[in-house]
Amino acid sequence: MSSSLLYPNWRALVRSVEKRSPRFLALVTSGGLLTAFIVYYSLYRFLEYVGRAPMLGAVVGPMIGGLLVSKLLEMLYLALFIMIVFSSVIASFSAFYLDDEIRLLMASPVPAARIFWSRFAQMVVESSWMAAAFFLPVFLAFATAADAPTWAYLIYPLYIALFLLTPNLFGALLALSLATVFPIRQMRKVFQFLSVLVLASMVFFFRYMEPEKLLNPSYFGSVSNYILNLQNPMTKIGPSAWITSATQMLFHGDPLLSLGKMLPLLGFLGAGFALLHLLARGYYRNSWQASLEAVENQVLGLEWLRRLLIRPFRLASPEFRVIAEKEITVFFRDPAVFSQIFMMAAILFVYGYNLTILPLKELPSLYSGEINDTMVYFNGPFIGFILAAIAMRFVYPSISMEGRAFWAVKSSPVPANRLLQVKFILYLVPMLLLGLVMCGISNSIFSVTSSYLFWISFLNVTLMSVVITGLAIGLGTVFARFDADNPLKISGSFGGFVFMISCAAYVLNLLLLEAYPMFRLYFYRYYPVTSHGSWILIVLSFVLLTMCSIVWTVAPLIRARDTIERYEPD
Amino acid sequence: MNQTEPAISLAGIGKHYGHFEALKPTTLDIQPGEFFGFLGPNGAGKTTMIRIITGIIRATCGTVRISGHDISKDPDAAKRRLGYIPDRPYLYEKLTPFEYFGFVAGLYTLPGDGWKRRGEELLKRFFLWEWRNELIESFSHGMKQKTAMCAAFLHDPDIIVVDEPMVGLDPKSVKLVKDVFREMVAQGKTIFLTTHTLSVAQDLCSRIGIINRGSVIALGTMEALRTQSGSDQADLESVFLKLTEEASEEGAGERPAIQV
Repeated sequence: MSSSLLYPNWRALVRSVEKRSPRFLALVTSGGLLTAFIVYYSLYRFLEYVGRAPMLGAVVGPMIGGLLVSKLLEMLYLALFIMIVFSSVIASFSAFYLDDEIRLLMASPVPAARIFWSRFAQMVVESSWMAAAFFLPVFLAFATAADAPTWAYLIYPLYIALFLLTPNLFGALLALSLATVFPIRQMRKVFQFLSVLVLASMVFFFRYMEPEKLLNPSYFGSVSNYILNLQNPMTKIGPSAWITSATQMLFHGDPLLSLGKMLPLLGFLGAGFALLHLLARGYYRNSWQASLEAVENQVLGLEWLRRLLIRPFRLASPEFRVIAEKEITVFFRDPAVFSQIFMMAAILFVYGYNLTILPLKELPSLYSGEINDTMVYFNGPFIGFILAAIAMRFVYPSISMEGRAFWAVKSSPVPANRLLQVKFILYLVPMLLLGLVMCGISNSIFSVTSSYLFWISFLNVTLMSVVITGLAIGLGTVFARFDADNPLKISGSFGGFVFMISCAAYVLNLLLLEAYPMFRLYFYRYYPVTSHGSWILIVLSFVLLTMCSIVWTVAPLIRARDTIERYEPD
Repeated sequence: MNQTEPAISLAGIGKHYGHFEALKPTTLDIQPGEFFGFLGPNGAGKTTMIRIITGIIRATCGTVRISGHDISKDPDAAKRRLGYIPDRPYLYEKLTPFEYFGFVAGLYTLPGDGWKRRGEELLKRFFLWEWRNELIESFSHGMKQKTAMCAAFLHDPDIIVVDEPMVGLDPKSVKLVKDVFREMVAQGKTIFLTTHTLSVAQDLCSRIGIINRGSVIALGTMEALRTQSGSDQADLESVFLKLTEEASEEGAGERPAIQV
């Protein structure tokens, strides 16, 4: 069985858990569960409200509200599908072709198809576990909002697991097909192709969904047209449409009908696995052998940009200059860079697009200023989330990507502190710039009127950029995987999960500490602060915020320094 | 270099991994200009010793001094005097050899462009000049090993610490490396070398230490080792096998470690 080939991976996973202290594991688990609960509960309350849509009346409200919730569920399934297809293609290249241990497996008498399926199982876990962990509380909130029966909660994880197999099947099929067409050594071309593919699919996805129409019934000639539009699935056929229908039936307590709706998905999986098995049996060994041919000299076409970016560092101290130059050079020569950049561009595109379609101009003028200003405050966590997602892909893997060559730094006179300082400053600059630009653009779209909120939004983004960068460098070192061959594997690891949880916890910390100043200086702004007590609380809030931010930044960097000093290469 | 101090001075250094004692407390001095060979079976503790000397890992006990500088208290001064060549040449694969030299030059804060001239000389000497603009990822194991050697020599260190230098090298390169090492020792530099190629150690080293199960069980010139093993005419291979087998039979824990 392929499972025996997974034994080393299983042992590695068990060992990685065993070597953590129980206190640490308890802390991460409780932090993760708390975050999941907050996401679950707040989304449940939101969906429950949208589902009732009380502003539309007792009859029409639940009808349109229910349809909106279903539509949102379908959108989430579709987004998750696209996200995992892309992750699984990149993970497939690594799992099927680039990992070192495949040489050993291929030299053994194990049939190629069996090796392929063991690698497939590993790839599915790598590409999906984090998305599944983050989306599960989201989907469970839909179940609670739909008042699903208890047994539905027990069956639902199985539905999710089956659904997650479909994008992985697509990813594996795509990777295998690309590997038979392109020589894997020309990874640059493969990744350029994939980058264009992902950008096109994102544009198609949003133009197809037209989410702005959902927010504004005036796009349609009549309410009935609007309702009809909501009732139509975004895609008539496809895994996300099938799983949406099956989920709805499951949540409404109809297991037989739900199973009926799942049949196309099950049939699709069966056919997909059969096709993949045939391809694997026929082409996997050959395409793997072709991938062993000498790599082309991949000094990419972006050499001019690399030279431009390293130029300013000529003025820096020697160790800062060379570490910065090395980081930039390695980044631009990594063939996966195109896909990473496009993936991030897609996230920024979605963010910007969502801002532009918000119906801010149609709000009654009496409330528009108030709502726009309030949105500036709540926009902060969104910018934080985007910064965290970008940091997870680009900053978090920074120390791990030193790889086994890290001995060169470790045996040099450069102390761990200095290395971490350099990396922190190097990555903070683009993170801060990106955050401030996003903040500036969103403030201008919201036409923020309150100067307090205007400045606090910039302060928040600055603090978040600093803390997220510190966390990414710090935790990226503490959980470094010097043996990993691509950034996706590093950011998709247990440490990446801890990083995302930590970022969420910091943003929550920031919002809580700013709650009182926000309440007193914004919502109660027409009643000037006169009492000493209020001023003391406001000042105390900001002092505490500053202190917490310093601790959130410095503590992981100190742990990182200790980790580097204790690090013993293989 | 401070000529009154040993080039490498190990005072009671030991290393534990949990309950496992990888290196028993060892005291050893290597004098300036000495070519010291450190031999031992697989897993004996050679690489652990080398990593402690180069400051890559910390000893559980004892101190390491490089030309009088304690590597844990004054790592900057100590590491500047060292050039380290690891057993496996893991390098930054997306850099060219010359870019890698630039990186190393920055880490050691080498002034000006002098490193470029030296880098060019080294690449030519090691027959890598025509590959200077190729990415390291396209190099063979031997080419990577030679690139790592060039990088270790770039800052002209007084002490070279080499772990298994000949692995993956072709005969021409092996001869070249031996010649380079001999020249360096002739210039007064110190070399600490571990190898399984006993003929290399016999050819090059002025003094040899043998480690088994974490303890230094023999130390001295070739003659002294022959005497210790009781085989006057034997080559290093016979001496090595005899000493390590004896030590294994007696049980390394019962045999007192040699301290010099």
